Amino acid sequence: MAPPVAVSPLIKTARYSALIAGIIYGKRRYDNLKPIAAEERRVEEAEKKVRDEQERIAKELREGNLTDLNPPCQLFDLQFDMLIAKCPNPTFSFFYSLFTASEDTILK
Amino acid sequence: MAQAVQKLVAKVPSLLGAAVTYSKPRLATFWYYARVELVPPSPAEIPKAIEGASSLIKSFQSGRLGQITVKDAVRNGLVATEVLMWFYIGECIGKGGIVGYDV
Repeated sequence: MAPPVAVSPLIKTARYSALIAGIIYGKRRYDNLKPIAAEERRVEEAEKKVRDEQERIAKELREGNLTDLNPPCQLFDLQFDMLIAKCPNPTFSFFYSLFTASEDTILK
Repeated sequence: MAQAVQKLVAKVPSLLGAAVTYSKPRLATFWYYARVELVPPSPAEIPKAIEGASSLIKSFQSGRLGQITVKDAVRNGLVATEVLMWFYIGECIGKGGIVGYDV
């Protein structure tokens, strides 16, 4: 077997500092990307609810069986939720939540 | 089905033994080389590394680049690529996965 090569100190420091720099970079980017992905998932869920509701309405219309007399209003609510999810503004969503809460108490 | 699983389970110790006998000399060779070549730099070697880096920069500035042989240039290029790859290994460790970020 050939004897092991004596590696120059420059190469050794470069390797291990690249390793540590890579670990720090990977950790930072992961922490950066995680909330962005959670946000996207939230938006996707809100959009999915809107799409499901639209499909449900379309199916009921096709079957000529409109038992639920308020489908367009519910769709409007879900679409509004989707818009809120897409561009959240703290004061806006606060007033919206107040509004929806009062709407429930009035109806019930 | 159950019999096949039982036979497999009975073979596992002998498979493990075969794996160990196969890998022992190879691990020994790896350790023999790694103990010298892959150790991190000791604190005494860091000033030498800084000196090496500054002499490299000076050679770039003095135009000695035109005088390296292609063989040397290729070898240095390979070494530089290897150092860069350690960065990507570090990134894999930092993000906790091999392919892609697990968000």
